[in-house]
Amino acid sequence: MIERGHRGRAALSTLVLVVVALLWLGPYAWMTLTSLRTLPEIIAAPAYPLPSSFQLGAYREVLESVPVGRYFLNTLAMALTIAFLQMALALPAGYALAKLHFVGKRAAFALVLACLLIPAQVTFVPVFTMLGAAGLVNTFGALVLPFGASALGTFLVRQALLSVPDEIIEAARMDGAGELTIIYGLLAPMIRPTLASLFLFSFVFHYSDYFWPLVMTTDDSVRTLPLAVALLREQGTGVRWHIVMAGNVMLSVPVLVVFAVAQRQILRAVTARA
Amino acid sequence: MRPRSPLHPYLMLAPTALVFGLFFLYPLALALHHSFYAWDLLTPPTYVGLRNYRSLISSGELAGTVGRTLSYSAVVVSLSVTLGLALAVALDRPGRLYAFVRASVFSAYVVSWVAVALLWMWILDADAGLLTVVLRKLHLPTRSWLGDPDVALTTLALVSVWKITGYSMVIFLAGLQDVPRSLHEAAALDGAGPWQRFFHVTWPTLRPSAAFVGTTSLILSFQAFDVVRVMTQGGPVKATTIFVYAIYEDVFVNLRVGRASALIVVFFALLLGLTGLQLWAFRRASGARKGTA
Amino acid sequence: MKRLPRRDALRALAGSIGAALAPSGSAGCARRAPDGRVEASLWFAYGGNNRKVLLALVEQFHAAQDRFRIHATYQGDYFEALAKLRTSLAAHAGPTLTHVIGEVVPYLAEAGVLEPMEPFLDGAGRDSLDLVPALAQDRGFVGGDARPLVALPFNRSTPIAYYNKTLFQDLGLTPPTTWDELRLVASRATTRDGRWGFECPIDWWFWLALVGQAGGSLIGADGAPTLGGESGVRALELWQTMVHQDRSMKPPPGRDYNAWQVANTDFLSGRAAMIWTSTAFLRYLEDNAPFPVGAARLPRGVRASVPTGGTLFVMPRGRPRLEQEAAFAFLRWMMAPAQANAWATRTGYIPVSRAGIAELEASGYYRDHPSDRIALDQLACAEPWPWSPDLFRIEREAVQPRLEEAVLTGKAARAVLDEARRVAVEP
Repeated sequence: MIERGHRGRAALSTLVLVVVALLWLGPYAWMTLTSLRTLPEIIAAPAYPLPSSFQLGAYREVLESVPVGRYFLNTLAMALTIAFLQMALALPAGYALAKLHFVGKRAAFALVLACLLIPAQVTFVPVFTMLGAAGLVNTFGALVLPFGASALGTFLVRQALLSVPDEIIEAARMDGAGELTIIYGLLAPMIRPTLASLFLFSFVFHYSDYFWPLVMTTDDSVRTLPLAVALLREQGTGVRWHIVMAGNVMLSVPVLVVFAVAQRQILRAVTARA
Repeated sequence: MRPRSPLHPYLMLAPTALVFGLFFLYPLALALHHSFYAWDLLTPPTYVGLRNYRSLISSGELAGTVGRTLSYSAVVVSLSVTLGLALAVALDRPGRLYAFVRASVFSAYVVSWVAVALLWMWILDADAGLLTVVLRKLHLPTRSWLGDPDVALTTLALVSVWKITGYSMVIFLAGLQDVPRSLHEAAALDGAGPWQRFFHVTWPTLRPSAAFVGTTSLILSFQAFDVVRVMTQGGPVKATTIFVYAIYEDVFVNLRVGRASALIVVFFALLLGLTGLQLWAFRRASGARKGTA
Repeated sequence: MKRLPRRDALRALAGSIGAALAPSGSAGCARRAPDGRVEASLWFAYGGNNRKVLLALVEQFHAAQDRFRIHATYQGDYFEALAKLRTSLAAHAGPTLTHVIGEVVPYLAEAGVLEPMEPFLDGAGRDSLDLVPALAQDRGFVGGDARPLVALPFNRSTPIAYYNKTLFQDLGLTPPTTWDELRLVASRATTRDGRWGFECPIDWWFWLALVGQAGGSLIGADGAPTLGGESGVRALELWQTMVHQDRSMKPPPGRDYNAWQVANTDFLSGRAAMIWTSTAFLRYLEDNAPFPVGAARLPRGVRASVPTGGTLFVMPRGRPRLEQEAAFAFLRWMMAPAQANAWATRTGYIPVSRAGIAELEASGYYRDHPSDRIALDQLACAEPWPWSPDLFRIEREAVQPRLEEAVLTGKAARAVLDEARRVAVEP
């Protein structure tokens, strides 16, 4: 590309780089620094960039008053189960929509597309009363079952399977393989990137979900971490920002780690370039 | 391909259909049903016909909620598209440093809304927050960003923009790969300046991406809840009570399930309208991008 | 946190999944703790220091007997916990024991979701608990003694004024005793560089205090919500004057208890010279202030008046009998003088046991802690709540949002309250 005013352009882009880095990294840095302060420091002189010494009291307080380990396991279990379930259900559904001819195929596909756009918040009232009648409120099932199927996942799997040649499937059929074996044993490995993207996307989304656990859980047997961190604000006494930020750090670090490790996969899921 | 057995396709779709039917279609029908009743969850419901809808309209609550949601969405969509585009263009350079900054911008999209909401609540704190302190040091005017009814909604919108701009940036970055270099060079050789090159070469290729980003952030912004619940709880003076939060508040705080159901029905209808909008936008973008929501 | 060995972690995970998958609310079977004791669930809404005190008391209860256990879960602030409670009751997933603010007790009682408590007293009457009448259901509500006993007081309070003793000394001020003095003191203590003379959460509780002080009452003799009539307007206008005209009062930003937190923080950091808030924060403020903290009664208008606040324990219906026995055993233990005093002295709430108060007076506690006396003395002019099922709805839907609106935007108080009255009578 022909560049004019090369040096001016370079200076401008460095400036943009710095500003953007400040805007998007600064908050994390501030969050971490705050989590290392003590209460008197926060009340008195909250602005000094560096705490006078690095105190871990806030983290201790969080760990003492909140069963972080348990909530973390709850959240992890919930997100993993949902991601697995969605994958497991999306495969046969996507296969049927991509490869098989049947009556009502178009209607089914339209329905999947429609479900793509309706959020959980629209349905929570009736689902809550429904689960209540079934005695399932505040259970693991309440957190997981409503998300067992993913319209997005079904759509993605369908798209990916469309590009798999029919001959492969027919050959497998002639070899005597059952449909389930074909779906899970043959096709799934072939579209592994799509599945991985779907899995990661779903995991990250549901790990961070605040709304559904807020509505569906009532005690700490199935409470999730985002909910617990939000409760750290414990209104009515005084400012506890150092404690809240410590909880925030504990909440965000696992996700950021997963992101750092699986960046490319997550980005691929977002841009749907399998 | 022919299915091995005529039942197979239906069996394969059955689990998915079961989940959708049970947790999406049936609840929606229930919501429609509930919207004609007054119900506080503790005592039996009473039939009230269209009263919920009428009171939503006459009290101005519906208009207010829709208006607030739309203005929130407008800020979120327009800013995330333009900012995402600007960042994509500015950061589309090779090198580890640029990759790192791009990743940082996108990382905000990955962490939870709760984390982002709590973080910015602290930064925007009117007395001790980082922003307030910085503004004071620079002798610039400062306000109660979350406590002033006039700016609270915009503040929330900006926080949301901070979170989701990474997403639109990434979409645009992918779209930028499609811009033919040769066209750029040809245009430059013809004497076109950088702005003209952008408008005539880059932008047409990016239009589908923009349409995609626009519609998805529109839908995302309509679904906003966490940020309101954590940061302002719908206040001050209802200034940030947008759709999903209004529904939540009617159910959990006011215990007016009937009215909440009426809101749900309206919300769903609106969202359906948005679906139509999205399909139309996609068709206009002539399928150049096979996107997902 | 000690690192769990992997096997234990997996077991814990499996256990929590298994336990969580089991549907809750199996009628008839009381929950049992791992050590075999009958376990009752308690949902509570105390934060910070008060939460620690409660949990310590729960532990003490476990040590004091061997039949019952209490499983306490934090549910957020009063409103969050109440939202959780009501929706969970509808889904039959409620707790055995919880506490709710006074304003909502009539509603829950009339909806029939509260378990009457007198049967658990084994024949002894409700007087056997020897509670301070103004704090208990009997005198805390108009006609409360004529209704089945469904609520027992625990953390009860009145609003009081806290002032920065050092600041007041330097400025030569004394805590105001009338509305006019309040305005004067606030103006004198306000400085140009950001210190406010007065700060008070724009909350219906404090507004009610002002309404009472102006001579009005919330609900008229015929049961219709008058919202204080003229007194309501005068109360609201006092705030508006101090905020917009005198510029001596800061309305703390934030919804519900967020605003109370801001007021506390402003007071501790010296940004507000005087605040109104609950006596519940007495210990917290005294412990964390870098200056001596003074407490005083609220000023009078045409008379002295304060509402009572805090919460009462209630037992939702529908839980297994054994669990309810566990819960009531805990309640009875908490009402005893020793525990009532322990709670009150460690937090700042008012002790609910009459015998307990006598003990404190005899031991000279109030001589050493005069601030603790303020709320107790104010009980003499405390207004009981009307027993109206609409009370809570009036508060949350009609009044509270409009108070905010009136003070923040300066809209005419009369118009705002007329609107509130209209909403209050709507079904």
